[in-house]
Amino acid sequence: MIFRITLKELKENLREGRIRLSLLIVLALLLVSVFISRGYYLSVQQQHAEAKEAARDVWVSQDEKNPHSAAHFGTYAFKPKYPLALIDQGVDKYAGISIYLEAHNRNEAQYMAAADQTALSRFGELTPDFILLFIIPLLIILISYNAFSRENEQGTLRLLKSQGLNMWSLAMGKWWSVFLPVMLLCCLLFGVAAIFLGSLEDFGTLAPAELLIMLLVFLLYYAVFINLSLLVSALSKNSGISLVLLLSIWILSCLAAPKAANNLANGLHPYPTRMAFEAAIAEDKKNGLDGHDPWNQEAIRLEKAVLTEYGVDSLHQLPFNFDGYRMQKSEEHEADIYFKHYAYLREQHERQTDIYQATALFSPFLPARFLSMAIARTDYHTHWDFADAAENYRIQMQAALNNDFAQKTSYGDWSYKADRKLWESIPDFSYDPPELGEILQTNVLNIVILLLWFGLSLGGLFFATSKL
Amino acid sequence: MIEAINLSKTYKGGTGGIRDLNLNISGGQIFCLLGANGAGKTTTINVFLNFLQPTAGQALINGLDVSREGLKSKNYLAYIPENLQLYPNLSGLENLAYFSGIAGKDYEQEQLEEFLREAGLQADAYSKRTQAYSKGMRQKVGIAIALAKQAKALLLDEPTSGLDPKASNEFAETLSQLKDKGVAILMATHDLFRARESGTHIGIMREGRLLETLQAGDVNHSELEKLYLTHMN
Repeated sequence: MIFRITLKELKENLREGRIRLSLLIVLALLLVSVFISRGYYLSVQQQHAEAKEAARDVWVSQDEKNPHSAAHFGTYAFKPKYPLALIDQGVDKYAGISIYLEAHNRNEAQYMAAADQTALSRFGELTPDFILLFIIPLLIILISYNAFSRENEQGTLRLLKSQGLNMWSLAMGKWWSVFLPVMLLCCLLFGVAAIFLGSLEDFGTLAPAELLIMLLVFLLYYAVFINLSLLVSALSKNSGISLVLLLSIWILSCLAAPKAANNLANGLHPYPTRMAFEAAIAEDKKNGLDGHDPWNQEAIRLEKAVLTEYGVDSLHQLPFNFDGYRMQKSEEHEADIYFKHYAYLREQHERQTDIYQATALFSPFLPARFLSMAIARTDYHTHWDFADAAENYRIQMQAALNNDFAQKTSYGDWSYKADRKLWESIPDFSYDPPELGEILQTNVLNIVILLLWFGLSLGGLFFATSKL
Repeated sequence: MIEAINLSKTYKGGTGGIRDLNLNISGGQIFCLLGANGAGKTTTINVFLNFLQPTAGQALINGLDVSREGLKSKNYLAYIPENLQLYPNLSGLENLAYFSGIAGKDYEQEQLEEFLREAGLQADAYSKRTQAYSKGMRQKVGIAIALAKQAKALLLDEPTSGLDPKASNEFAETLSQLKDKGVAILMATHDLFRARESGTHIGIMREGRLLETLQAGDVNHSELEKLYLTHMN
């Protein structure tokens, strides 16, 4: 019975110019957006490969110099682009793509792609995630806002009921008739994306399971919108009211809720301003060990402790260069300071995430958006993870350079110069994003909220159809 | 086949509805319910369709209490409203196939065409979308749906309202054929002439009560009109 209703609904919908045209427009937009994203993705991939290679080349080709000078010379960590970013670019354009790694300082990611864009980009971009998250729900509303209200208005509902039709079967038949074309559109998009990604030489970390799970997230998101559309249509006295209500739901869910969540999160758990953040770090640094200042109180204290530990009277008697040793201790101290302050930022981020997840109870858009970005590795969590990986690399790099200086020279000997061998011995930075299992674990609440939306909206639809 | 036993339906506020209605329409009978607007004709049909729950009494279709066995009782009945609407983007044939399928009856195209022919729809309209159909043509598809369902009971709510005399006459002929096949028909109407011509029995309702029941053949048109007006005044 459900299959029969679905077939009839599909046939009717496809014969309606309004729906046919909408489907074609969305299909065209999807294909164009994938094509545009493909170009952007290839360009970024190429830039990333070139920049990475150039930075490494600059690092290993630098002149012979003191290792600590090389530490100040520094290098770059570049954030890789992951295959599913083709579908959801997430916050990548706003989060910066490279971090300058140098002695004593933990730097922020810089060179945001958004900074290179025109003012028009403020109005949104034609990307697959824009179509998937904003436009397809609108398409669902357009197809199904009058699913029940029209039957009621034209009197066919009474005729159907007189034929002994169970209203839940009618609802399910209509549900599938909306879901199937939407699923087809989605599968087409993901299929084109998979073909394109599969043809790349550098296939990256894409696994078919990830593509499939991302597809399932979007399908679940659409299922929620279909439930809501049919529910409102079943409860509305006429199609006009149904359309207005559904558009209001779309505006609230997709446009208002994310902004409200953002304002609420920033209001309740604000990040410190950059000036305050840097001032707090500078204050902590000032009160701690300064590797470049041997007369600093902490440096003097360290010197005494080391002399005592090694049972010698002079720094010259130490089996290593105390300058290098102090530099390294200073790095470790500064790393702790950065760790403390960034941990606070991370805590604020987690608190803000809690607010977002609470707000997601009022909008199915939010959990879908967070899940999609997380699976694409274009969310803030991945960005934080990348920044942490870069910081860990910086700490190891500084340790390698300072230890080389400390071990191969004696106190006061600043004439030592390391060469290419040392630069090459420090491995190039590489970053592996979180595994899918970890991502799903981190986002379990988003999954639960999205499933809750599905269950509650389906229950609402069941209730509404029982009243028809 | 169509039976009402002390059937009452009271709306909130106590207005309208039906009061203590008793009816028994057997196969091969056409019972025409006459009455002014608000007399309770449509309410009676809605109760038999289980669209409304009775306040008291029973509405039975083929012996099944419709308020208890709503879905089952619908297996035996067909319904044609005053202004039957179909799916405008589907043809008459597709509408018939869909509604028959909903009722659990699957037919080959030839059989469906036969039902449409029997209902009096011209052959060149079968495959046209029903958005271009007149009311009379839609009513014929409604008859075809009833034929395809092989319903034993047919409920009609003002089916000839708005039809031109020719279409109304064709409709009456089709009803007569259904009657001859043993279908029990309950028709709510304002049309005294059509009730007298098509019905085997006539009931006059006022304010929810069935005031009088008579055999159509026992009165002529003017007697029926006089009787009707007597009850309405």
